[in-house]
Amino acid sequence: MNRRPFSTVSRRSFLACASRAIVAPMVMKTSGAFADSDIVTLTSTGGSYQENVTRTVLTPFTEETGIKVNIVPMPNMAKIKAQLLTGNVEWDVVNLPGTDAQFGSKQGYWEKLDPSMFDLSDLVVPPTRDVVTAQLYAQGIAWDPEKFGPRQHPANFAEFFDIKAFPGRRALRPDGPSTLETALLGDGVAPKDIYPLDVDRAFKVLGRIKPSIAAWPATTTQSISLLQTGEVDFSMTYSNRVKATMERGGGKPMAFSLDQTLIFTDQFVVIKGAPNKANGMKLLAYLVRPEVQARLEEAVGLIPVSMKAGAMLSEAARKWQPNLRDPKNLVISDPYWSDNYEKVQSRFKEWIQT
Amino acid sequence: MNRSSTIGAQAIFMSPAVLLAATIMLPPLFFILYTSVHGTSLSLHEYREIASSSLFRRTLGTTLVIAVASSVLSVFLAFIVAVHLARQTARRRTILLVLVLLPLWTSILVKCFAFTIILGRDGILNGILSWLFNTKIQLPLVLNRIGLFVGLTNSLVPIAVFPILASVLAIDDSVYRAASIMGAKPARILRTITIPLSLPGILAGLFTTFVYSLGAYIVPSLLGGPRDQMLSNLVDFYNRQVLDWPRAAAISVVLLAMISVFGTPLAFWRQRKGIGGARV
Repeated sequence: MNRRPFSTVSRRSFLACASRAIVAPMVMKTSGAFADSDIVTLTSTGGSYQENVTRTVLTPFTEETGIKVNIVPMPNMAKIKAQLLTGNVEWDVVNLPGTDAQFGSKQGYWEKLDPSMFDLSDLVVPPTRDVVTAQLYAQGIAWDPEKFGPRQHPANFAEFFDIKAFPGRRALRPDGPSTLETALLGDGVAPKDIYPLDVDRAFKVLGRIKPSIAAWPATTTQSISLLQTGEVDFSMTYSNRVKATMERGGGKPMAFSLDQTLIFTDQFVVIKGAPNKANGMKLLAYLVRPEVQARLEEAVGLIPVSMKAGAMLSEAARKWQPNLRDPKNLVISDPYWSDNYEKVQSRFKEWIQT
Repeated sequence: MNRSSTIGAQAIFMSPAVLLAATIMLPPLFFILYTSVHGTSLSLHEYREIASSSLFRRTLGTTLVIAVASSVLSVFLAFIVAVHLARQTARRRTILLVLVLLPLWTSILVKCFAFTIILGRDGILNGILSWLFNTKIQLPLVLNRIGLFVGLTNSLVPIAVFPILASVLAIDDSVYRAASIMGAKPARILRTITIPLSLPGILAGLFTTFVYSLGAYIVPSLLGGPRDQMLSNLVDFYNRQVLDWPRAAAISVVLLAMISVFGTPLAFWRQRKGIGGARV
């Protein structure tokens, strides 16, 4: 999962999966026979992120509802497609980046939601008919504050694309979604006029700074580590990953600009034919409740989708929240990318190689 | 014991393993082939598509160039290591062989991140050079083809050392003695004895490392530059990111076909070597 700011599978989540594989046949039988099972399966990306989700969301959820949450690692669209094709759906709730969730929605992979489960007026991005946006995350410019003082680094995308005023080696994500938007914003296109993307223009803008692009980090971890080792000067990465460099075990602290960011949605769905559908729906409704959202984002440092939760965050956590009402920030369009991803990304991959 | 009975005996002992491997390996492989031709419609659409895709052709070219270069480089380095190992006493050789194997015991991901620290612009190597020459040196050693070759040879050299070492060790000492009695200098001995007689091992090493590097995936993504992406990266793109399984399957079949083309001579060749060895 290149496109996400979370860590990859941990030993703990592997063990969770392995133990689940052993009990799976038994579990599936019971869940098929009784509608009111007391478990639900959730996919997660592992690591410290998953530990935080368990502590702030899943354990309290189990305490309140009596429903036990089984965590399985690595959401992966290919695996979901395989489960649906073979009619052997093992997962209930899946956590996916927006583009994937939208793509699956178009294919009819998800169960319909009941809008009355949610407090719609509280949600910055309301749920669609089958996809819940649970949190948002921000991509922007990061740098080493020891090397670049105030005003010596690009703070917005126009400056990031200005290699005369801010010479230096750059790293961008090797993904069309985000990089092409950044290029157009950097070239002066207003955020409200970005979609549908002017792909040709975006490539032309990228071509201007190509000699300064030193790396296309294959993993999110690398988008930070290359910065920390001085391999690149300015890196497009995620705010929560930069925040993590300031915490224990994060390595050398880096800095992040909140002046202009791209906002991504992080989404949750229930797979069609999920064995514990009703419990899955309960988990989705619980996930976007203001106090749950506040607990979660205080720990993981992403952006809550609940407006009330935003106000409940501590001063320290609020320092890392981009202003969603600032018109300079752009919310990545999941519908656009679910329609155009393959075509544009193929061209993008080829462009990178030439 | 004649040769056919040996093979018959081998077959009896090997067949459970072969059967098990075949039941596990063949159905998924067949399914990949089946997916690549759109099931029963037996359409060659995907193959035509990739043949006309410049992204595929470019990546195929890169893959072949990288695989050839890295296998030649690895065998060259492995040959030096093997010749040195062959000269040691058996006990010393065992200890040194463990050192040769060491890179294979470390996670390739960890190694890639470690190489970034060693080879980076502000990395350990450039740091030492800068200190030695008392000037800022920032050689580009990573996120390009150099970094890729360093990463690939690091994991390929141990694989190549073993067949070459076996060949070098099989050379009869008296041949060396005869050569030096007749006045051959070390360079001459290397050229006319060591290299020709260890050719079986060298070729085996060459094929094995070539086949390994054709399927490289992690090293090109982490240590290579944007122009060093290989076919496996493309398979991942179609399989996991755009869910175009027929396309991913077609590319996998092409990759598998290439590996078979280069792997088959290796298998036959090992057999012949076995016969030759028996005769000596």
